[in-house]
Amino acid sequence: MTHDSLSTTFAALADPTRRAILARLALREASVTELAEPFRMSMPAVSKHLKVLERAGLIARGREAQWRPCRLQAAPLKDVAGWLENYRRFWEESFDRLDEYLRTLKKEKQRGSKQRKH
Amino acid sequence: MAQSNASISTAENGLGMEVVFTRTFDAPRNLVFKVWTDSSHLVEWWGPHGFTNPRCEWDARPGGEIHIDMRGPDGRIYPMSGRFQEIVEPERLVFVSAALDDSREPMFEVLNTVTFAEDGGKTILTLTARVITSTPNAPQYLKGMEVGWRQSLERLSVQVDKALSTERV
Repeated sequence: MTHDSLSTTFAALADPTRRAILARLALREASVTELAEPFRMSMPAVSKHLKVLERAGLIARGREAQWRPCRLQAAPLKDVAGWLENYRRFWEESFDRLDEYLRTLKKEKQRGSKQRKH
Repeated sequence: MAQSNASISTAENGLGMEVVFTRTFDAPRNLVFKVWTDSSHLVEWWGPHGFTNPRCEWDARPGGEIHIDMRGPDGRIYPMSGRFQEIVEPERLVFVSAALDDSREPMFEVLNTVTFAEDGGKTILTLTARVITSTPNAPQYLKGMEVGWRQSLERLSVQVDKALSTERV
């Protein structure tokens, strides 16, 4: 997994139409005509979105000449999940450390104010 | 123990993906804001367990630059850079950050919004992270279709949870 392909996946996922197409394909494979229907979009417009998804490896298309069914490819989504996992770990653990650090600061402050009283 | 939770949702404007983290800290808001904006404090807690920050430039003012080199327990350096967009003391911080690859080129950028809310001497911190892409905004009528995506992201987040809990066992 290169970082470039992760950016490509994020860029492909950034568009709501493309996310809706993926959500639709998560149910079952579909032809371009079937995909175009709910979007009130022209076929060329839908084809353009499908090309972006295909380039990002998020969908694969059948070879049949008449109806080339589109299928969801889950691998790049797993990479996104992997990135999210790392990102979440970064913040969860940073927050743990921040919590500990704030406790240390409080203790030091208490010690300091006691010393001033004596 | 600090309370924490994380959720994944889509951005309100339909641009990309958002991750939201919330944590309550048992410390006054002014102090929590200070340890977020003063690099001499930030260096002490930034990064996962076992990481240090041999370079920690964190210029918390609008336009101020961020350069942090994290060093992992294995000695490997993980550089990142960024820039502050907005600072409202002691409530809000907005900054863009990007992890750098081996040739110190930025990968995709993340827009981070951190808010600090007072809660009876404690501080509720919320971090919203959004992956930035250059794709222009989508037409208004497509907004209703966000639901399907949100559901698939929720499934995704459940998978991430499972992966995480398996690792921790």
